[in-house]
Amino acid sequence: MKQAIVFSIEEFSVYDGPGIRTTVFFKGCPMRCNWCHNPEGLSQKIQVVKAPNGCLHCGACEKICAHKDGCVACGNCISVCPRGLIRYSGVAYTTKELFEKLKKNSDYLKQAGGGVTFSGGECLLYADFLHELIPMLKEIGVHTAIQTSGYASEADFMKVISVVDYVMFDLKVMDREKAIEYTGRSNEPILRNFELLKKSGVKFMARTPLIPGVTDTEENLTAIAEKVKNSGALGIELLPYNKMSGSKYTMVGMEYHPKFDEKSEVNANVELFRRYGIQAKIM
Amino acid sequence: MEERLQKIYDRFQKREYRNLRQKESAMPCKFYEEKDLAIRSARRLMEAVEAEKAMLFAEDKIGMMRTLQKLPPLLTEKEAEEVRAKYFIFDGAQVGNISSDYASALQGGLEGKLKEIEKEIKKYKTGSKEYNELYAMNLTIDAVYALAEKYKKEAEKLGIKELACALEHVPAHSPKSYYEALVMMRLLNFSLWLNANKHNTIGRFDVYMYPYFQADIASGKLTREEALELTSEFFIDLNFDADLYPGVQQGDNGQSMVLGGMGTDGKEVFNELSKVCLEASLQLNLIDPKINIRVGKNTSYDTYYLGTLLTKKGLGFPQYSNDDVVIPALMEMGYEEEDARNYVVAACWEFIIPGVAYDIPNIDALSYPNVMLTAAEKLEAFDTFPALMAEVKKNLTATCKQLIASTKNIFVEPSPFQSVMMTNCIKEAKDIADGSKYNNYGFHGAGLSTAADSLAAIKKLVYDEKKYTAEELKAALKANFKGYEKLHADCLAAPKMGNNDDYVDSIAVELTDCFADGLKGEKNERGGIFRAGTGSAMYYIWLSEHLGATPDGRYAGEPFSANYSPSLNVKFDGVLSVIHSFTKPNLGRICNGGPLTLEFHDTLFRNDEGTQKVAQLVKLFVENGGHQMQLNAINRDTLLDAQKHPEDHKNLIVRVWGWSGYFNELDVVYQNHIIKRLEFLS
Repeated sequence: MKQAIVFSIEEFSVYDGPGIRTTVFFKGCPMRCNWCHNPEGLSQKIQVVKAPNGCLHCGACEKICAHKDGCVACGNCISVCPRGLIRYSGVAYTTKELFEKLKKNSDYLKQAGGGVTFSGGECLLYADFLHELIPMLKEIGVHTAIQTSGYASEADFMKVISVVDYVMFDLKVMDREKAIEYTGRSNEPILRNFELLKKSGVKFMARTPLIPGVTDTEENLTAIAEKVKNSGALGIELLPYNKMSGSKYTMVGMEYHPKFDEKSEVNANVELFRRYGIQAKIM
Repeated sequence: MEERLQKIYDRFQKREYRNLRQKESAMPCKFYEEKDLAIRSARRLMEAVEAEKAMLFAEDKIGMMRTLQKLPPLLTEKEAEEVRAKYFIFDGAQVGNISSDYASALQGGLEGKLKEIEKEIKKYKTGSKEYNELYAMNLTIDAVYALAEKYKKEAEKLGIKELACALEHVPAHSPKSYYEALVMMRLLNFSLWLNANKHNTIGRFDVYMYPYFQADIASGKLTREEALELTSEFFIDLNFDADLYPGVQQGDNGQSMVLGGMGTDGKEVFNELSKVCLEASLQLNLIDPKINIRVGKNTSYDTYYLGTLLTKKGLGFPQYSNDDVVIPALMEMGYEEEDARNYVVAACWEFIIPGVAYDIPNIDALSYPNVMLTAAEKLEAFDTFPALMAEVKKNLTATCKQLIASTKNIFVEPSPFQSVMMTNCIKEAKDIADGSKYNNYGFHGAGLSTAADSLAAIKKLVYDEKKYTAEELKAALKANFKGYEKLHADCLAAPKMGNNDDYVDSIAVELTDCFADGLKGEKNERGGIFRAGTGSAMYYIWLSEHLGATPDGRYAGEPFSANYSPSLNVKFDGVLSVIHSFTKPNLGRICNGGPLTLEFHDTLFRNDEGTQKVAQLVKLFVENGGHQMQLNAINRDTLLDAQKHPEDHKNLIVRVWGWSGYFNELDVVYQNHIIKRLEFLS
């Protein structure tokens, strides 16, 4: 039985595909996008995290901590928090367990024309797992989708594409050097997988996070539009930079260092895509 | 917004008009000389009208504002003392929280009512109780006429010709236009408040106003835009005096309006006027009227979408009630089909019938957690969990009997004008205080999830896993979990209602069924029945403040969730699971009213896709047998900032329990409860 680490299952996620959906966030990501708003999804390891709201600063968690130099996720502090604010981030699921969990709401998902979306982190890190789980869900009539950075081996990518109903594929930074600078990875595997996706016949949507001065430049958006044009994509969804992106970093003991001006307005140039005949929507 | 309307709106927002109110009451209070309480009530209204100053502004087409701040009580201090010693007094003893028969008043005008009184009064001897009741009703109509006359003169003085002209005709006669109908409605509503009635609901506005709206639109006398403008003005007018209306907190005034749903003929009501009302509410952003939408399996997605646009505004309404659950439930309770189909909501969410019911659907509340805790205090006495449950149910049933007994010997002040506004009071020569066709009482059921979660925690930790002994758990509760942190964490981690987990949800089903069983077959002293509900009203604070720690991990004194909702101290899997959990109980058996409340972060509505999907979610809830739902779009940071800087958030509106109010005008305990509801929402 395959296993995967999940850091969140969000019911009624409304921006993750058609209809009312449940989104599964897998833990772990090969990318290091500078603007990432889900730092919980970066490490594949199970972590201990503390919710930022409601802390009484009673000191109970610090008192019991035996690993002040570096958290080893022993979890000793979890039970001492009087407000229950500390928890593990990351739960290991077998395909069967996750299937059973998702099945519980499948009636509503089907009724409302929705389904399940696998996101992350990067869900393709769990390609074998998904290859097993997705057909189980389809068997009971649940629509499936993935949200991916596209960064994966060809084999892993195809494993999932061959079974899933719908793909939301990120096109972030088209320039090769800038991609490495801002996402920590080369965009070559991404662009290769995009070509595979085009040929696959699977329904897909392109997605671009609009990061001021990074992805939202006319140059980058034009390059994306060129890519998406005639690709068979249903359209493109533009996700304006979330100014709350940095808020979850302290929760996982990290610091947020955006290399761009967070405060500047994003260039949500829907018109540019329309000129290319691409349906664009701001999310 | 049109300039004229904007002026009225700005006047309200600035609140300066409140300075125009009379500093001291000009009422001579001669009415106390009258011995018959019905006639005394009528005389008080006459005095109030006499003392009122007609107050209009050049931009008004409907207008009216109160200048009397307070109304003197009906009883002298000495009389009140005697009554209190002898009787059970509920909510100050005034008639309220019922729904007037606006339809018949509009159809026949008050002249029609007078003719009816004239006919009936002949049947009784002068000075008999019946005679006096009818005589008092007659006097109140005279009082309303005098009020209309005052406003007519003021309108003439200010040159508001159309208003003067309308008041020439209404309220004596049936309105000739939608505009006149609005003027009459304003006058009737204003008079009910001036008559010291409480929680005056607006009812099925899109039913009783539709004929006038429809005729004007069809004849071309009125455009849709004009109708929207006039309706908006009427809505703003309902807000001017709201701070004078009595309630537990400001905003708790009961001006609920019900749109759509099945008509008495079985056909869907939702019409163009319903849409106009939704649009008016959407453009105004005011707490009154509080919008309710009746829905069912045939309700179109578009209706939900229009409703969700309002939710997005953060007003805490509309509230949805599901005809498919509520109508059969009301019929099961003994309401006739036509009446059941005509249901509205009372001040908050209780289902009542316009014109023919003097139900008191909020007469008291059951505390599920208290019932549970009383049993848990003897925890070591029970070898098995079913034995504990049997004790809980025994307590619950006993509490039902106590609640029933405590409603006996009620005293209600007569209210002849409210009687005029009911369907049968004149015909029966009976004041509404003495009852109507339906005289049922309802009990709220507060803290269901706290009780169910607590029992689930006990079941898991003491009986199934045997991780703790009964003594240990009891000691931990007594110590408010101090020194029992591990146990507390285990309590918090136990199954919770709202996660679609039968382990705990089945307990909630048992508890709610037991509540319904405990009231079944019982009759109140007015011949009505007792209805079990899912609301909390303010009892989520009142009943929890002095209650010790509970096994679900709730600390002593912490509030329960409001209404029919998951507990506040846990993070839930999400709204789909919540809906699953909360549609498991037999809602038709506990259908007094009380919505499942869902909170959404306001960013969910940042584009239309979010709005559409929330609309779909409500539809999903209704189609899967939910009885009532209310949603909030809210942002915790905004509320925290409003506590620090109230001056920056003067118009911040929040839903409290069954009503929406201004955040700044709430006591801090209610503010904090709302903030706590949102802790896990980010």
